[in-house]
Amino acid sequence: MKKFASLFHDLDSMTKTNDRLDRLVVYFENACPGDSIWVCWFLAGNRIKGAIKTGELRSFLSERVNLPLWLVEECHDRVGDLAETVSLLAGSNTVNKPISLDETIRKFLMPLRTMDTEERKETLYRAWDYLAMDEMLPFHKLLTGGFRMGVSKGNLCKALARVGKVEPAVIAQRLSGSWNCDDLSLEDILDPSDEAKDQINRPYPFCLAAPLQEKAESLGNIEDWQVEWKWDGIRAQLLTTVGGSGMLWSRGEESMDESFPEVLECIPHLPPGLCMDGEILAWGREGLRSFSRLQKRLGRKNPGPSIQKKEPVRFQAYDLLRVHGEDLRLMPMEKRRARLEDLLKKVPDHLPLGISSLIKEKSWEQLELRREESRDRGVEGFMLKKKDSKYESGRVRGSWFKWKVDPFLADMVVVSAQLGHGKRANLYSDYSLAVWDESGKLVTVAKAYSGLSNDEIEEVDKFVRKNITGKFGPVREVTPSLVFEIAFEGAQSSGRHKSGVALRFPRIQRWRKDKKIEEADTLEVIRGYAGMNDEVCNEAGPKSDADGNLLLF
Amino acid sequence: MTLHPLKGFPSTLITQTFFLKNEVLESRIQGLYCPAGDFFIDPRGNVPRAVVTHAHSDHGRPGHGSYLCSDTCKPLLKIRIGQDCRIESLPFGKQIKIGEAIVSFHPAGHILGSAQIRIEVRGKVWVVSGDYKPQADQTCEAFELVKCHGYVSECTFGLPVYRWQPEQMIHQQINHWWAENARDGRPSLLFAYSLGKAQRVLAGLDNNLGQVFVHGAVYPFLEHYERAGARLPAVIKVERGQDHDFNQSMIIAPPAVEDSTWTRKFRSARKGFASGWMAVRGARRRRNLDRGFILSDHADWDGLLEVIKATEAEEIKVTHGNGDALTRYLQEQGSNCTVLDGAGIRGEEEE
Repeated sequence: MKKFASLFHDLDSMTKTNDRLDRLVVYFENACPGDSIWVCWFLAGNRIKGAIKTGELRSFLSERVNLPLWLVEECHDRVGDLAETVSLLAGSNTVNKPISLDETIRKFLMPLRTMDTEERKETLYRAWDYLAMDEMLPFHKLLTGGFRMGVSKGNLCKALARVGKVEPAVIAQRLSGSWNCDDLSLEDILDPSDEAKDQINRPYPFCLAAPLQEKAESLGNIEDWQVEWKWDGIRAQLLTTVGGSGMLWSRGEESMDESFPEVLECIPHLPPGLCMDGEILAWGREGLRSFSRLQKRLGRKNPGPSIQKKEPVRFQAYDLLRVHGEDLRLMPMEKRRARLEDLLKKVPDHLPLGISSLIKEKSWEQLELRREESRDRGVEGFMLKKKDSKYESGRVRGSWFKWKVDPFLADMVVVSAQLGHGKRANLYSDYSLAVWDESGKLVTVAKAYSGLSNDEIEEVDKFVRKNITGKFGPVREVTPSLVFEIAFEGAQSSGRHKSGVALRFPRIQRWRKDKKIEEADTLEVIRGYAGMNDEVCNEAGPKSDADGNLLLF
Repeated sequence: MTLHPLKGFPSTLITQTFFLKNEVLESRIQGLYCPAGDFFIDPRGNVPRAVVTHAHSDHGRPGHGSYLCSDTCKPLLKIRIGQDCRIESLPFGKQIKIGEAIVSFHPAGHILGSAQIRIEVRGKVWVVSGDYKPQADQTCEAFELVKCHGYVSECTFGLPVYRWQPEQMIHQQINHWWAENARDGRPSLLFAYSLGKAQRVLAGLDNNLGQVFVHGAVYPFLEHYERAGARLPAVIKVERGQDHDFNQSMIIAPPAVEDSTWTRKFRSARKGFASGWMAVRGARRRRNLDRGFILSDHADWDGLLEVIKATEAEEIKVTHGNGDALTRYLQEQGSNCTVLDGAGIRGEEEE
C-alpha cells in the first residue's frame, strides 16, 4: 500500500499529463504485479461496487471520532469530497507494518459488501487502526468508488505499453470490457504475442469524433467525406463470438445485454466474430423517436414484453470493425462501409437492426442547408467521416467530426448556489437557474456547473457569499441578480423542477452582465422548445421506408 | 442584555446572528465599541479612537484618529497604515485606564505583537481575541490564556477537518521540498502572507540549502522581527533590474503576486503555498500549485475548543469565519455561544 499511496499523492499533485505518465511507468516498473493489476483495474474505470453506503460510512465515522453527524456533514460540505473528509477526520497514528495494496483490498474492501452492519463497522475500524495517514485518502477513494487520478484510460495504455513494449491499442483492447483481477494478470496485459490470440468477445475502444470548430469548407473536397446524421441515442458496439453468442457494449464499456434483449435477438442472423459500431435508438413503426422515449428504457434491466412493445428500440449500425474475427479497423472507412452494407443486406427485415444512411450533397453549402432539417428529424446534426480514415481509439482530430446544430439559448437568473466538488470545493460553483412564469415568479428549469472561467467562478462565489437569503441543506438561496445565457440541447417535461420542464445538457454560454433579471426569458419560451420536441416524437415524425431508414434524403 | 435576531430572514433556515450590547462591549456598524472607554476595537470606517489587536489589514485599518496597540505591533502597524499616524503603544500585561474601562494587551500568538484585548468595566471582564493561535511559534510572543466573563473568539478554521501538525514537521517538509527542487535545478517559489507567515517560514528554513530571496512586501518587516528576537536567515530582496541565479534558491512572496508579471523571472520554479487552507486538497488544486504546506497562524479546531473552554467565559461570541458549526457544537456541549453580528465569512486571502 505504501508504493500505491505515494503514487496516488504524486499523481494528485502533478499538473502535467506527461509527468503523470512518467510516474505511472515508474510505479509499474517497481510495484509487484499483484498490486499493479489492481491499479490497471481501477484506472480502466472499474470500481468496487456496493462496499458501503455513504450514509453508513458517515455514521461509523461520527461514532468513531465522537463528533455529531451534522458536523461530519458540514465538514463534507466544506471539503467537497467524502473520501478526503473521512481521511481528515479519522486521522491516524498507526505504527503497523504496511501491507500490500492487494492485501488491503482483499482484507478491508472486498468483504464489506456481504457483511452485516456490525461486521462492516468492525472491519472499517480495523482498517482505520491499520492504515498510516498517507494511506488514508487512497484507501477511502477506493472505498467510496470515486477513484480518479488524472490519468485517462488512453494514458494508462501508453504507460503500460512503455513498460511492456506492446502497442497501446493492443493493451487498450485487453483492458476493455469487464474483467477482474483474478482472471487477468499484468503478464497477460503485457504479453508481447500476437493480438489475434486475444479473445474476441471484447469491444474495441470507441473512436470519438471531435467537434467541428471551423468552416466546413476548410475540410476540402466534400467528395472525400462520408456524411451521416448524428443520432441522438446511446453509442454501442454489437458483438458476436465464434461460439454463436454475442453481446452489446456501451461506450462506458458496460454490458447492456439485459437492458436491450431484443437487439441480442439479431445475433443468430449475424456472422460469427463480428463487431459493429452503432447507436441504440428509440424507434417505433413511424421511425425515430426522441431521446426522452429511449430514456424510458434506460436503467431498466430485463424489460417485460409490454414495455418492449410500447418503447421499441433498434441498433442503428454505422461501422463494421470486425467480421469472422478479422480486424477491419485499419481498412479505409469507405471500404468498411461497403462491407457493412453488404452484410446488412443479408439480414432479415423484421430485426431491430438498421443502417445509418448516407447523405450526399454536391457542396458544403448545400449540406449546410440540409443541416437545418436536424431539429425536425430529431437528430443532432451531421457526422463527417473521412472516407480514407481508419477506426482509431479515443478522440481523433482531422478525420472524424461532429457538426452539431446550434444549441438553444435562453437568458436565465441564478436563484441558488451550491458548493462544488474536487477542484471547486469550497467555491459556490453549481447554480440553479430560473425563468419567469406566467404569474411573474421565477421558477427553476435547470442546474448548470460548467461554462464560466475560473475568475468568473470566483466572482460569482463572492457575490453568492454576500447575498445568501436562505439555507436548505447544502443549497444557498441568493438574491436574484445574476443573468446567465444558457445553452441547451432540448427541453422536456419533467417533475424534477418546479417549472415542470427540464433541459438537456444545460451549460453556461456566457455571463450577461449587461442584462437585468427582468430581461430573462419566460417559461413559455422554454415550453415552446419542449412542445417542439413532442411534435417530433408523437405526431408527424420523420418518414421512413420499410427498413425504418429515413426517406427524406 | 438584549438579543436582536436579524429581521427578514426565515429564522429556522439561517443561523441567527446577534448584536452584542452590555456594559463592556456593544456592536456598532464600525465594529465592537466600548462605551465606558469610548473606543472601538479593530474598527472599519473612521473613528476617533481605535484599539488594534494586530497589524493585519483586516484589523488595523488606516483612517482613524488615533491608535493604541502593543509595543511590538507599533512599528509593523506603521508600515501598514503610514508613518505619520498617531499610534501609542503599551507593553503586554500593563493595565491602563481609558475612561471607566481598564484595558490591557495579552499575547495572542498570531503574529509578532498580536494581542488579545482585555477590557474590565465595573468588575466585568471581556476579552476580544483578535486572531490567535495557542500552538508554538518561534517568531512571536506565546499565546497567553486570559480568564474572563465574556470571550469574543475568532473561528477562521472552525471545523474539525482543520487540525495542525507541529510546526517543526512543516518546516521539515518545506526544507525537504526545497532540497528536492534545488537538486532538479529549479527555484522554489513559496507563497506566504507577507506579514507573519513569511517570517515564520523564513525562521524555519535551512539556509545551508541555498540563497533565500524575498519579495519587497515581505522585506520591511524583517528588521522588526529580528529586533524582537526572531532568528531569520540572511535574505536578498528581489528588485527590478537585478539579475540573480535563482535555480537553487528559495523565494518567499505574498500570494497576491502569484499571477503577476513578477513571477515571470521564476518561470521554471515549483510553486508552494503555506497556509492553513492547504489542509483541504481542493484549495491547493484550484490554485494549480505543486505543493501546499499546512502552516497556519490561527487556532485549529482543537485549539479553539481548548482556549474557549479554558477562559471559563460564561458567554462566547464567535466572529471572523463561518462560525455556524463551532457555535452549534458548543451550544450542544452546553456553552452559551452565538455568532457575533457582522461576522463575515473569511475568504482564503486573509490567512
